[in-house]
Amino acid sequence: MIPEALVVDRGVSAGDSWLTVDPAKVHDALSALKDEGYSLLVFLTCVDHLLDSSRNWPARYELLYELRNLETREQVRVRAFVDGDPPHVDSVHDLFPPANWDERETYDMFGVVFENHPDLTRILMPDDWVGHPLRRDYPVGGEVVEFSEEHETWQTAPEKA
Amino acid sequence: MTTEIGQGITVDRTGETGAFGGELLTVNFGPHHPSTHGVLRLVVDLDGEQVKRIKPVIGYLHTGIEKQMEALRWQQGVVVTDRHDYLSPPINNLAYALAVERLMGVEVPPRAQALRVIMCELTRLSSHLVWMGTSGLELGAMSMLMYCFRDRDTIMDMNEEISGFRMHTSYIRPGGVFADATPRFLDMLDRFTAKTMAKNVDEYEALLTNNPIWRRRTIGIGRLSAEDAKVLGATGPMLRGSGVAWDLRKAMPYSGYENYDFEIATSDLCDCYGRYLVRIKEMRESVKILRQALDRLPDGPINVDDRKMLPPPREELETSMEAVIHHFKLFTEGYSVPPGDVYVAVESGRGENGCYISSDGTHKPRRVKFRSASFVNLQALERMALNHFIADMIAIIGTADTVLGDCDR
Repeated sequence: MIPEALVVDRGVSAGDSWLTVDPAKVHDALSALKDEGYSLLVFLTCVDHLLDSSRNWPARYELLYELRNLETREQVRVRAFVDGDPPHVDSVHDLFPPANWDERETYDMFGVVFENHPDLTRILMPDDWVGHPLRRDYPVGGEVVEFSEEHETWQTAPEKA
Repeated sequence: MTTEIGQGITVDRTGETGAFGGELLTVNFGPHHPSTHGVLRLVVDLDGEQVKRIKPVIGYLHTGIEKQMEALRWQQGVVVTDRHDYLSPPINNLAYALAVERLMGVEVPPRAQALRVIMCELTRLSSHLVWMGTSGLELGAMSMLMYCFRDRDTIMDMNEEISGFRMHTSYIRPGGVFADATPRFLDMLDRFTAKTMAKNVDEYEALLTNNPIWRRRTIGIGRLSAEDAKVLGATGPMLRGSGVAWDLRKAMPYSGYENYDFEIATSDLCDCYGRYLVRIKEMRESVKILRQALDRLPDGPINVDDRKMLPPPREELETSMEAVIHHFKLFTEGYSVPPGDVYVAVESGRGENGCYISSDGTHKPRRVKFRSASFVNLQALERMALNHFIADMIAIIGTADTVLGDCDR
């Protein structure tokens, strides 16, 4: 069982059960859940809650780990809220090998730094890309044509991204 | 040199020198290579002809679909979901539609559910046909491509009949489906399942199953044990080809799949041939599901009766002021979805394709994430292809059936 000390909050959203953990204890919580039988990490991602007034968010970035127990077919979503520029969190690739690419993607898209990751490099965007496209302050539709005049200026522009 | 890539899963990478004392040769395979199924780039270290290290480099088909969805209204997003896994558009539509419906708390009528199942199974057939045609082409059975694309074209004709579009149908939408099945569509489907497909799958088996070249190119190639497949998170035919009977249509049924009688195709061979057998069996099972869906197609509406979500019928606009207001609101602002988040997984031809949506209560999603089977399955490539010949790596990439558009999104 996951020790109750690790759980900050829990609930159900549209039928999916979730629990919130302290970002510093993500690795411990996922390790405990894995021992409990949640052997598959379905996906791992991040949501940027910048300027979202619909609810009270403890921090800007929400990391999500969807776990599945293949025997009982139960699913649980582990959430952790992190702040900072860049935000830091422990890597879980040693618990769940598929997390390796998911963490690279989350780093690429949100700039979340996963500690102890073996190869934290960009995966979808080009290696020399500036900024992290899925952050909410990264402009939508701001893509410029490569090798054009705007491209030169824009590559250095996103200060907050 | 043994390197651990996950708990207990190791790969044997040699050092800098090959078995005969020569240096390893680093070859850049792709991104533009006919057998990479899209634009996959592999940096491969070769000892002679043997593969000693593989580093997949992806992202060449990254089109920013998830970012794009954040700028589109809920009903506009469907069009984008068609385009990431371009071999199974209705299945992606379904994942997105089910997720939005779960957030809205609505359930579509039985006829819409059955039509969704029909479209998904047709898509699974067409996706497996493309796989079989291209894999056959790569491994020396050239006529497979012609035969498979002949049947796929029939499916395309049916797509056109029911949705007006041959490939990116956008047929399944939050709240129901685009249009009701026409009598001509049902007639085509009847002929296709009863006559064409039942006979043609046997023909494909006659061409490949006992074909000595096909067997020698696939049996024992690209082994992935059940244990490794589970740890590496593989889903779909990759997992079932390793003997694990896991299919989301059975394990966590959606859209009424629990009402259909079909079997999970598995194979204990754990190699490329096993994955081929799984796909052949799945094609037969899909035909079975299609027959049942056609025989039991319920009558009734094809959309939820909710004017806040779907536009009113055209004829109502001339008589009802309320209908005009609803129509105007839907096509200018769109509808909003209550705050919350949800994850829905569906079984595509490649494995688990899921859709995670986080809503902030506005008329556009806060975040949409697609869990794609290709992205996860591709990570098992090194495990499968190491110490094989480079020509066998083609067979392994082929039977992993990654779609790079799905992988890079």
